[in-house]
Amino acid sequence: MTKASRRDVLKVTGVALAAIAGLKAVNDVTASEGAPKGGRKWAMVIDQSKCTGCGYCVMACRATNNVSPEITWNPVLEAGQVGNKDIYLPRPCMQCEKAPCVEVCMVGASYYRPDGIVMMDYDKCIGCRYCEVACPYQARSFNWKKFDGPNPAVPEWGEPEVARRPRGVPEKCAFCYQRIDRGLALGLVPGVDPEATPACVDVCPTGARVFGDLNDPNSPVSKLLNEHPHFRLREDLGTGPRVYYLPANPEEV
Amino acid sequence: MNIASIKSFFKSAWGKWVTFLGFFLATGLSAGLLVFWKGLSVTHLTDLVPWGLWITIDLSSIAMAGGAFFLCAGVYLVGLKQYEPVARTATFVGLAGYTMAMLALMLDIGRPDRFWHALVYWNHHSLLWEVTMCVCLYLSVLVLESMPILANLEWLRDRYPRLAAKMSHVHHYAPYLAIAGLCLSMLHQSSLGAVYGVIKARPFWYKPDVAVLFIMSAVAGGMSLTVFASMLSARLTKRAVVKDELLERVAYFIGWMMVAYLYFRFWDALSMTYTYQAGRTEGLALVTGGTLSFNFWFGEILLGAVIPIILLLNKKTRLNPALRMVALLLIAGGVIAYRWDTNLSGLLVLVSYLPGAPTVAYTSYRPSLVEWMAGLGIISYGVMLFSLGVRYLRVVDHRPVHEERVPITVESAAETVTA
Repeated sequence: MTKASRRDVLKVTGVALAAIAGLKAVNDVTASEGAPKGGRKWAMVIDQSKCTGCGYCVMACRATNNVSPEITWNPVLEAGQVGNKDIYLPRPCMQCEKAPCVEVCMVGASYYRPDGIVMMDYDKCIGCRYCEVACPYQARSFNWKKFDGPNPAVPEWGEPEVARRPRGVPEKCAFCYQRIDRGLALGLVPGVDPEATPACVDVCPTGARVFGDLNDPNSPVSKLLNEHPHFRLREDLGTGPRVYYLPANPEEV
Repeated sequence: MNIASIKSFFKSAWGKWVTFLGFFLATGLSAGLLVFWKGLSVTHLTDLVPWGLWITIDLSSIAMAGGAFFLCAGVYLVGLKQYEPVARTATFVGLAGYTMAMLALMLDIGRPDRFWHALVYWNHHSLLWEVTMCVCLYLSVLVLESMPILANLEWLRDRYPRLAAKMSHVHHYAPYLAIAGLCLSMLHQSSLGAVYGVIKARPFWYKPDVAVLFIMSAVAGGMSLTVFASMLSARLTKRAVVKDELLERVAYFIGWMMVAYLYFRFWDALSMTYTYQAGRTEGLALVTGGTLSFNFWFGEILLGAVIPIILLLNKKTRLNPALRMVALLLIAGGVIAYRWDTNLSGLLVLVSYLPGAPTVAYTSYRPSLVEWMAGLGIISYGVMLFSLGVRYLRVVDHRPVHEERVPITVESAAETVTA
């Protein structure tokens, strides 16, 4: 081999650096577009005037999604008072349009479904927990232990519809995608027919949770959002959550 | 091996050193097995603080390996040929550092059985993907760069002279390896900082300069550890031979590098003192006046930067080997403290997502015994590898090539290859 002159070496370096920079720029453009557009976009509306903090949704979720008693996908948090009434804020996964967890996942185990649901491929995940660090909503819980033994929420609150997650991966709410998919296959309408709707929405005794397609102007969620003022959590972060809240109204509480 | 020779082994300084490290290796190994068996529930990590001691060890060992690419670039690309023996040591320190990082990661991921997923399934938008790719490619570069060093093993030279000669020959590709190493290291040493820097949910991290601070501190810390380890080895064993004027020059450069680092660090901290931002302000308060403040003011700034800068830039103190070693060790310690503080300052402060102005809550983390045992095991592995390198591979040897390394003669081919 002939000896490389310093000039050759610098030339090769320059070309290599330029190539890497170019590749990276191209990747960034394609990867930052977020979830694909068009089709159905599932969203949830939670009416804080109606939520009484009963926690039925927590239990139904735990049974339906086979969640360990040590983990809560969908906690109901205390959120101050309006008038003299306590106000609550149930917090499922926000199913962000630009989800930090999807952006940071090194193996692509977190991904967008075309309908906007942020999914977890539990067979792909290596358990690095970068998604947990990145999620602004603490929507992810890691399986520090294996969940074995009976699920105390079953059968009182429902029957498990999905497999338990293994030890060593984080898990989260996915809008009961299994209910949506099965319902659609049966010709049902998610958000209208209970069999096709997330378990937390079905179980809510006050009807505080509403589900539906954001792209359908006649869906229950679109109608509510058209008629009422609403907010989303930490909109300043630019994550574009698909869980909307109707703030507690002193007259309706 | 008879009983007498075993006895004399344990009586020798080398034997005692190996036994000392072996103890930590054994406890580390058992802790590691416990982690694989019981899972991460044996740690004190939580959903709120999911990264802890092992991530710090991972980041620190990669930082301590940062001297390799920088010195190799200096020797083979800039043409500072006289520093070649120092670059050689740094390369071996790098090999130890990157394998340490791999061990720490294997413990830290929840599914170590799927470690290979990181290479097969790509999300090229993730900074950790970029880090993984670069680390793996750079580890390959380091292995190639270490080939001529590994070829120094007596046993290999006697038994497989042809292979040893081939391994030595890799040295001729050093400039190309140096380019690859420079590119890959510039990318992932910075990206490791950016792993934190892009997380908008953690306002104390969310800034572009974490990447800059990470690579600068890695270069300074990595070279410091390399020079320190070289000087220490030369004091402890005749197998390590150093040319002090080389190390003195490198130390002088490190002093200026630290000035540059401190400069960036100053503006980084100062800019965060203006206006209140939930999470960021509390993060800064945690570092400058809270639970991490001792680490910050003493570990990172006073002992980790200011004092070593004075010791290394002042000719009198720099020429004093003991003071120079103290300064270098302090710099390495300061860089490790920076990694620990960076990781925890973002995780210990939790910004609420409830409606209204974001409020802040605090979390806590203290590594469990198993985490310490496994962590110390990984560190003693690195120290052991370096000690073996000094003893059997002449990793620290600054004598000119012709004095030290006898050419390997490959008889059948009747050619002489200078290793």
